Amino acid sequence: MMNALTIAGKQLSSRLFLGTGRYPNPYIQNKAIEASEAEVLTFAIRRVNLSAPDEDAILQHIEKPFQYLPNTSGATSAEEAIRIARLAKASGLSDWIKIEVSQDEKMLIPDPIETLKATEILAEEGFIVLPYTSDDPAICYRLQEAGAAAVMPGGSPIGTGLGILNPYNIERITEKLTVPVIVDAGLGSAADVTQAMELGADGVLLNTAIAKARNPVMMAEAVKYAIHAGRLSYMAGRIPKKKYATASSPVQN
Amino acid sequence: MARITIIGGGVIGLSIAFECRKRGHEITVVEAQRCGGQASGAAAGMLAPYSEIEEDPDDFFRLCQRSLQLFPEWQEEVKQHSEIDFEYNESGSLYCIYHEADRLSLETKQAWQQKFHVKSKLLTAEEVREKEPELSENVVAALWCPEEAHIYAPGYVAALLQACRSLGVRVVENAGEAKLENGDVVTKNERIESDEVVLAAGAWSMYWENELGCTLPIFPIRGQICAYEAPTLNHIIFTSQGYLVAKANGSVVAGASEDIADFDTNVTMHGIGRLEKWSKKVMPVLEKMEPFHKWAGLRPATQDGFPLIGRVVEKTGIILATGHYRNGILLSPITAKIVADEIDQIPQRIEIGQFNPNRFQSIQ
Repeated sequence: MMNALTIAGKQLSSRLFLGTGRYPNPYIQNKAIEASEAEVLTFAIRRVNLSAPDEDAILQHIEKPFQYLPNTSGATSAEEAIRIARLAKASGLSDWIKIEVSQDEKMLIPDPIETLKATEILAEEGFIVLPYTSDDPAICYRLQEAGAAAVMPGGSPIGTGLGILNPYNIERITEKLTVPVIVDAGLGSAADVTQAMELGADGVLLNTAIAKARNPVMMAEAVKYAIHAGRLSYMAGRIPKKKYATASSPVQN
Repeated sequence: MARITIIGGGVIGLSIAFECRKRGHEITVVEAQRCGGQASGAAAGMLAPYSEIEEDPDDFFRLCQRSLQLFPEWQEEVKQHSEIDFEYNESGSLYCIYHEADRLSLETKQAWQQKFHVKSKLLTAEEVREKEPELSENVVAALWCPEEAHIYAPGYVAALLQACRSLGVRVVENAGEAKLENGDVVTKNERIESDEVVLAAGAWSMYWENELGCTLPIFPIRGQICAYEAPTLNHIIFTSQGYLVAKANGSVVAGASEDIADFDTNVTMHGIGRLEKWSKKVMPVLEKMEPFHKWAGLRPATQDGFPLIGRVVEKTGIILATGHYRNGILLSPITAKIVADEIDQIPQRIEIGQFNPNRFQSIQ
């Protein structure tokens, strides 16, 4: 099959990273996770009962084993993100950390300076760091150099479902980086997911698109196939775009 | 005047019966077992959509807000017609956070809710302690929503039942399984001739899929709750892990789990143990106490998290009012008015398209 995605030495069977927020109820959440075949689950550390993760309102429903990717959402500075990350690691949840720092409550646009600072320090401390950032090739490259195990540029602002607003940038990022690129945030449907994969992404992170679909379980399955289709299409290589028609049945002489 | 048969004697069915009877219709309520015996009687009675809905404004938020606004007058009417008093407390609520990182999401929520004229205020740790001295010192801040309220659900449902009876609603309890025949409702004992049938069967609604010829993705999620005899709280207390609410009978109720357990209504060690540990952290005075009461109910959860309210396309004369999940008590007045307006052919006053019961048809 397609070559597997490996992050920090861990081979993952699925290229889907799934968020655990906003599902209508735990039953639908579990069914959607199952249908998606995702292996990496992400959640906000601030929402979790860190002293007893097994008793957490959301995590208690999840049947193991999953690779947890706790995130620092709500942090407004590198300092705060680092503090939250250390709390998560100390609780034994995971040494993977998705850095999410934003000072903008309306757009939740990531703050690149603070994100870079936190990435440097946490990577140095031995965390497996996956920073969420905007779709800027320069900052994505700087995050890789700072020690990120993978870089997660956003397609569009979190929860908007606007898809990939700047495919040109995403493609530059996947071309330039040697660590895996996971397109995170803003993807709204299977088509957006396929596009991300066709642009060379190594994986995608979704939450709202699945959790808030009319049928989350069915959307989870659709996204699974979309990743597969997009990855195959990327590897197969698309035809160049041309201005004029070319008959697909050659004319007999 | 129409002959209306309502299947299900929970808070939704009884509220519809009450509203439709006041409008002059002839009503029969058919309950398989005992009225209010399931989720309705087990509920903690929170009327707190501003605390519980964190996401963007949508029609569901507006539905909840409208119902909350209807409550003062609605509960007064139920009390008048039943001549039964029950606790209705406009206590307000505090949504407490324990991480600085939670501040941003509270501010985001507050910002969009303000556009819907929701009153709220972000309180400092000191202000929280002033309002609620029994809370743990770990609270960093809280969002105070003074308009939220709570109701004593068993008392409310008992009064609704009495109000229905006093107004002349016929209530058939222990009816067992009912079915439909040519638009009438048939039980083991009788045939109830009906112009309109309302299905308000909560977590049991899925059993009507074949009968109605449509997809009803509704299933039970168990909620476990426990109660302490403890010093009172002045507000409903929310956290990311659950809520605490003090009732006039001297109890503090801690809820609630969301268990995948099919139709099992037993409490479990894990479920109650989790509530106990968490509630003791929130309110240290509970540390040395044991809950004196533990119970569970089955909530009707749906595939997309929204209730099903409205007419079924495949079968004329059938109206659904089910799938209210955690919001049955809160949504009882607005659901009653929507269904009554549908029967009386009055244009709906709020947008209800998102709750159309036919939305699941083509995709399963």
